[in-house]
Amino acid sequence: MGSKGEEIVPDDAGQKDTACSSDFAEDQEGDPTVGKTALAQIFRSDGAHFQKNYTLTTGVDLVVKMVPVPNTGDSVELFIFDSAGKELFSEMLDKLWESPNVLCVVYDVTNEQSFNNCSKWLEKARSQIPGTSLPGVLVGNKTDLASRRAVDSAQAQAWALGQGLEYFETSVKEMENYEAPFHCLAKKFHHLYREKVEVFHTLA
Amino acid sequence: MRKVDLCLSSEGAEVILATSSDEKHPPENIIDGSPETFWTTTGMFPQEFIICFHKHVKIEKLVIQSYFVRTMRIEKSTSKEPVDFEQWVEKDLVHTEGQLQNEEIVAHDGYATYLRFIIISAFDHFASVHSISAEGTVVSNLS
Repeated sequence: MGSKGEEIVPDDAGQKDTACSSDFAEDQEGDPTVGKTALAQIFRSDGAHFQKNYTLTTGVDLVVKMVPVPNTGDSVELFIFDSAGKELFSEMLDKLWESPNVLCVVYDVTNEQSFNNCSKWLEKARSQIPGTSLPGVLVGNKTDLASRRAVDSAQAQAWALGQGLEYFETSVKEMENYEAPFHCLAKKFHHLYREKVEVFHTLA
Repeated sequence: MRKVDLCLSSEGAEVILATSSDEKHPPENIIDGSPETFWTTTGMFPQEFIICFHKHVKIEKLVIQSYFVRTMRIEKSTSKEPVDFEQWVEKDLVHTEGQLQNEEIVAHDGYATYLRFIIISAFDHFASVHSISAEGTVVSNLS
């Protein structure tokens, strides 16, 4: 983590005086084979790379990417901890995650069990930092397999809302909507930062 | 010998490294003598900053004013260059809701040319450092 947040990244409008960049750790989690790694990789490569062969993630893979936050002049650097979905690696994750800032829970819209397990993943992530808010998104992936859909959009949306998560549907295979969840997380994290800076202002 | 606040930019101190930098809350705010201005981390831990005194000093007492800092480690160097840091103090701070943490550290073996402050963990996603003062004396100028 050597180059932590030292880049100044002014936005296109040239609001250089407000420029700042910040880093955050995002936990990406969900059941195995829902497409977490494919989502992270396609985002990293701006849609250039769809993983055709499945590789099981053991532990976590780290994906780093800079994301501008619109209308702020600021950018955030995402450290995406793409986490193993297999139960077998579950205990190891507790050590590897270490204070996530935001979270992205991914499920497969053709696999009801993967949706049902989202609450378990959410709870696991939130227990990492008790007492601190952890903004997040829920992503339903594989919308290209429309005929095999097993989880209703509205149902998933309602559950996400109840958990304070924003809901997105993606097809990583068709490269549809894969950036939106990450941009949302960047925005949420930036908002969190602004809020805390306001608190710091009131202290002295 | 005259006791001064060695950690003031007006006394010649300088922050030569910080791992977070929001232009609105630069690390210089730590040593400007005002607790109203602050340096803030911008995400993830650990985070650190290094203060250079530009002379040999002997520190007797450190006061750190901060918010959301959980574990702070302080290393020091007596070299001319910012190298060969050795562990000096490590403290677990208490969260003080709505007011600045005010941590006083009585220093032993306070000879230094550089201090390195490492925020190992925090009580929130971010932490701020509002002021650091080091009461002590100037031993000699760097030759």
